[in-house]
Amino acid sequence: MTTLGGRSSIGRSDLWQWIAASLRARGDQILVFVVLVAIWQVLSMTLGSYWVGSPWGVATRFAAGIADGALLRQASYTVIEAAAGFVLGALPAVALPFALRRLPIATAILDPFMVGGYGAPKLALAPLFILWFGIGIESKIALVAVTVFFIVYFSTQAGIRALDAGLVRMAQIVGASEQHVARHIVFPGAVPYVFAGLRLAMPYAIGGAIIAELISANRGLGYLLQLGAMNFDTTGIFVALAATTCIVFLGNWSVNALERRLLRWRPPSDVTLQAGT
Amino acid sequence: MNAPLIEIRGLAKRFAKRGGRGGRGGREPAPWVIQDLSFSVSAGEFLTIIGPSGAGKTTLLNIIAQIDVASDGEVRFQSEHAPVGDAKALKPGLACRIGYVTQDDHLLPWRTTLQNVLFPLAVQGRLNGSTRARAEMLIRTAGLNGFENHYPHELSGGMRKRAALIRTLVYDPPVILMDEPFGALDAQTRTQLQEDLLRLWNLGKKTIVFVTHDIAEAIALGDRMLVLSRQPSRIAGQHAITIPRPRDVRGIMTDPQFAALYQRVRGELQ
Repeated sequence: MTTLGGRSSIGRSDLWQWIAASLRARGDQILVFVVLVAIWQVLSMTLGSYWVGSPWGVATRFAAGIADGALLRQASYTVIEAAAGFVLGALPAVALPFALRRLPIATAILDPFMVGGYGAPKLALAPLFILWFGIGIESKIALVAVTVFFIVYFSTQAGIRALDAGLVRMAQIVGASEQHVARHIVFPGAVPYVFAGLRLAMPYAIGGAIIAELISANRGLGYLLQLGAMNFDTTGIFVALAATTCIVFLGNWSVNALERRLLRWRPPSDVTLQAGT
Repeated sequence: MNAPLIEIRGLAKRFAKRGGRGGRGGREPAPWVIQDLSFSVSAGEFLTIIGPSGAGKTTLLNIIAQIDVASDGEVRFQSEHAPVGDAKALKPGLACRIGYVTQDDHLLPWRTTLQNVLFPLAVQGRLNGSTRARAEMLIRTAGLNGFENHYPHELSGGMRKRAALIRTLVYDPPVILMDEPFGALDAQTRTQLQEDLLRLWNLGKKTIVFVTHDIAEAIALGDRMLVLSRQPSRIAGQHAITIPRPRDVRGIMTDPQFAALYQRVRGELQ
């Protein structure tokens, strides 16, 4: 989110050029988007807008929701829950594999429990968390944190296990201590894997927040979804879904931007090619 | 020559058998990679070691560098004995006095050329004006100037080898082990790097133990040459190379001593 500020320093003509360039680069994507909207429109016309809200109706409601601030306010609850849970889950998930790196026995003891936790359907924990933490923001944060934790834990662990032993030996030979190895070899080597986990966990974080809201909440996008369903208001549901998608896009964009900044040393791959720089 | 700097007596090595489960039969113990190997290296000497592939050359260097442990025998560096049979007691690089240029360059992909070269100084806490100046001098000598801020993936194979070599030279260890450092390069780059290495060696006259499987390279570079047999490794021959220095790496094939030595070593390698 904070990376958004970086664009403000760019002049107006630069901005137009940037938009034009992105449009050219994304022509095919726009085409796919148009086709999808067309299918949506056809479905809405054949099934009736009672069952499938029309694209135009959804767009106008979406715009109205943004204009009067109601949609933004509801979305901000969801974003705050997802972001707080994301940070709360990701930090220990990154730290723990590093702490366990030199403790193979502890790792072996913990492993089956971690695999169990990873495999368990976290969304099924939502009722339990609501019971424990109430219907406020805390239960949503807890659900998101648990969901994010296991995904990021396993990808960080994979990064540490994929470490090139030759690099460690080289460092030891030139006089690196255990801390040097951890800081200069293990950590930078694992960062790409950490980011793979973060990128994977991001939509789950937003999904987790919304599911928890669906079950019990009086605000947030999940609440809007539930409200729409209760009022037989498919357009309202579609508006909430569209807002969710926008948030996932923004989250993904933030993770990618952070990754590009931290992983400048990597040879150009599909990740950087997508940036269209 | 004075007392040997490195002394190896009756060295033997075999690797631990792979875990009990899944192995086929498991009746016999793992074969010896090295058996009853003895030689010494004097201070300031450029020793080349040649042997067929799988002769345990890398294992031998790993044992001297103390990243692998001997199974039997005696390995001594100056007055210190390397542990035998106890991998936990190993001291890799023995307090930064044994440099090791491995087959793979092992440059850190997230560090630029300059940061990679400075890495040993940084972890040894010796990064200051004069060591920095030395690093820059070495980078210039090796022709890497202009590439200081490039990441390893942006360098050619030859440049990466040079960077790895300089990374070892920069902290000035008295002994440098080199394991086929120019193995994967084309002939042109290889000759160029051999010349560079001799020039850099002339700057400090370090003790170098250089492993290769290329007879011509072993003769062109070394003061003395050890020929290892097939596994289990023993010494099949030992030759002093008296071709005068400075040597012309490109023209060394025309030296009469070169041809005679080349034939003899080829015979020993059969």
